[in-house]
Amino acid sequence: MLAFIIRRIITTIPVMAFVALFVFSLLYIAPGDPAAVIAGDQASPADVERIRQSLGLDRPYLVRFGEWFFRVLQGDLGTSIFTSLPVTQLIAQRIEPTLSLMVLTLILAVSIAVPLGVVAAWKAGTWVDRAVVGFAVFGFSVPVFVIGYLLAYVFALKLDWVPVQGYTPIAQGIWPWFKNLILPSITLGTVYIALIARITRATMLEVLQQDYVRTAQAKGVSNRDVLFLHSLKNAAVPVVTIIGIGVALLIGGAVVTESVFAIPGLGRLTLDAILRRDYPVIQGVVLIFSFVYVLVNLAVDLIYTLVDPRIRY
Amino acid sequence: MDRRNFLKTAAGTGVLAATGGLAMPALSQGAAAKTLRFVPQANLANFDPIWGTQYVVRNAAALVWDTLYGIDSKFQPQRQMVEGEEVSSDGLTWTFKLRPGLKFHDGTPVLAKDVVQSLKRWQARDPMGLMIKAIENDLSAVDDRSWKWQLKQPFPKMLLALAKNNAPCSFIMPERIAKTDPFTQITEYVGSGPMKFARSEWVPGAKAAFEKFADYVPRSEPADWLAGGKKMLIDRIEWVIIPDAATAAAALQSGEVDWWETPLSDLVPVLKAHKDINVDIGDPLGNIGAFRMNHLHPPFNNLKVRQAVLTAMNQEDFMRSIVGDDDKLWKPLPGFFTPGTPLYTEAGGDMLKMKNVAAAKKLIAESGYNGEPVVCVVAQDMSATKSMGDVTAELLKSIGLKVDFVATDWGTVGARRAQKTPPSQGGWSMFHTWHAGADCINPSSYTAIRANGDKAWFGWPDVPAVETEVTNWFNAKDQAEEKAAMDRLNKAAVENVVYAPTGFYLGYQAWRKNVTGVTSGPLPFFWNVAKG
Repeated sequence: MLAFIIRRIITTIPVMAFVALFVFSLLYIAPGDPAAVIAGDQASPADVERIRQSLGLDRPYLVRFGEWFFRVLQGDLGTSIFTSLPVTQLIAQRIEPTLSLMVLTLILAVSIAVPLGVVAAWKAGTWVDRAVVGFAVFGFSVPVFVIGYLLAYVFALKLDWVPVQGYTPIAQGIWPWFKNLILPSITLGTVYIALIARITRATMLEVLQQDYVRTAQAKGVSNRDVLFLHSLKNAAVPVVTIIGIGVALLIGGAVVTESVFAIPGLGRLTLDAILRRDYPVIQGVVLIFSFVYVLVNLAVDLIYTLVDPRIRY
Repeated sequence: MDRRNFLKTAAGTGVLAATGGLAMPALSQGAAAKTLRFVPQANLANFDPIWGTQYVVRNAAALVWDTLYGIDSKFQPQRQMVEGEEVSSDGLTWTFKLRPGLKFHDGTPVLAKDVVQSLKRWQARDPMGLMIKAIENDLSAVDDRSWKWQLKQPFPKMLLALAKNNAPCSFIMPERIAKTDPFTQITEYVGSGPMKFARSEWVPGAKAAFEKFADYVPRSEPADWLAGGKKMLIDRIEWVIIPDAATAAAALQSGEVDWWETPLSDLVPVLKAHKDINVDIGDPLGNIGAFRMNHLHPPFNNLKVRQAVLTAMNQEDFMRSIVGDDDKLWKPLPGFFTPGTPLYTEAGGDMLKMKNVAAAKKLIAESGYNGEPVVCVVAQDMSATKSMGDVTAELLKSIGLKVDFVATDWGTVGARRAQKTPPSQGGWSMFHTWHAGADCINPSSYTAIRANGDKAWFGWPDVPAVETEVTNWFNAKDQAEEKAAMDRLNKAAVENVVYAPTGFYLGYQAWRKNVTGVTSGPLPFFWNVAKG
């Protein structure tokens, strides 16, 4: 197992190198010019060109990529074109809000969606099942920003239970941290809950029709044990897979959610950087996201071995 | 339901809530009562007011760096850091003297050498600065408080150049910082203005904070825009970056922020209905909507085609697409200069009032238009340019032009508009933008009105008659001469269609009623603002 983990971590390096090359190339051929954004709307073409030169944007692609890649190998993600701050510093400032949002969303989603899916499968065909399926359809259909605005209006503006926007670092207390994050987490979690609940329901339905489940029921095993001891564990592999895949959804959804709730996270940093063509920041964030995604996939693979003893590496 | 309609619906719900007496939260602010929380128009992504010229940087810089002169609400330059100035009888030598007791935030005194180096850096990036540089013999310190500017020919607009609020302003920095190449960003933010920048708290994209500078000595005259006594009544100002308009509106309603610089017009009814919020015009100098045509390539290298577009244009269509139904927020603009300012003119602007599609079609027929597609590049991520672009596309089609509508983002427009190649080879035919009314009061900082061919702004119009009148304005001896030059300039610019003004529009600002002293101006002025 240890060898597998080490092998997997080592294999992330070429994956991330390829991602880096791909992103760098994509930005190079994409239209847009950070110098024009920096110079402002009234600047002359000559001013824009001077800024391009001072930023080194007029140098050949391979030279720029080579320099960037060499720095990355040394752990230096470069300097933001706009803020003149190190990309690592910008990411460090933003990583806590995004990780907090993702973790809280994940906890909320799994703790709500899995029981919902199990109950829906157990009560298949009843109003409970239809209600869960209906909620799942709602979760998929309503845009994230609509849910965000509605929650903010009711719980922040009307009831004054939580702030409308912003982020409080966890170091300043769990409760302030939680108050700032609960609405964004529910907002972001809605799609995720819908996704996991549907997959859980579908896989549980399949498992519940297996012979061993009928045997357990015939032997008089309680419903709770049938569901949670005999069935859920066998339905867990696809659910764990979808939770892992869902991390990608979380990353995408975080961009919108962080904008709606003005959370200074990586999503907003990425969006701002893309709109301004702040290449070093885009590249740095994409690398970080890729690394997180690779690690999540590794974690999912390891969890497989826990829930299904037949899987061995 | 799209985003805009959802915002409107949410706004309507908000009105109900506000008028129905729903309990609005009053968060316990504690220490926040001594802090003013301000939502700026955009993110403060960098903080060098010379390197970049974004308005948001200029606005923040006005807190941290002071200027030698400041423009007042009558558009007159007034002394700010200077005690006095002398100009020789031939107009060739200007001698300035600093006020005593001025200090930078690091405790060092402001000296003439700091001023000289700061002016040199500013000159390299500012259009008026470059004009002075072109006729300069010497710029050097005489002693610690005095410096001399020797010119080869008189420059009557010297004080205006040093006082103007158009970016880049001639902010004064310590010499060691001002020595930074004007095309390289400074990394130390030390000024002598009324507030210090809290560098350690800066999170670009989220927050910027400013703290009162105890050693600032304001002038004794009453504050008036950038002139007069900049008395800080607040200890701390936090700029809270909220990119989403609906969220900013909610934060203002809940009291999480105190002042929002640019509320979205769709949300203004909600804010107006709220008992604790004031709403008023933000910048009385507003904005001039614009689209520029590329004078280098067909079809807009043909004067008759450009004139046809102006002849058919109905500015009301453009303005309503930006501001909606609020008639207080827009005016037709038969010219290029800012309404309500002393030199405003409509001379020769009849073409912009015609709204005559039939006459425009006739002009197109006479022009010999060959059916070349108009590559109309429109930034969809800025609501004003998107709205205007949609109207323009219909306008062009209505007069028989073939339109190739390129929907993209501002980053792409910014790069593409610099291309001089034909539209079919990556160039462009037209793009949309707007100009701050503060920049369009006269030709001094009005880059967009210049028509000096290759040196002109994107679109590269080449109209000698316009350039002659720009020169005449700079050399004018009095306001009557200036006005006459502006009349002729406006007429020549309309007749030759330097660019297409789509109208004049204003925007609101909104603030909590416990904040006093908020005024209308071309930038948010924080001096004399108090929070109860």
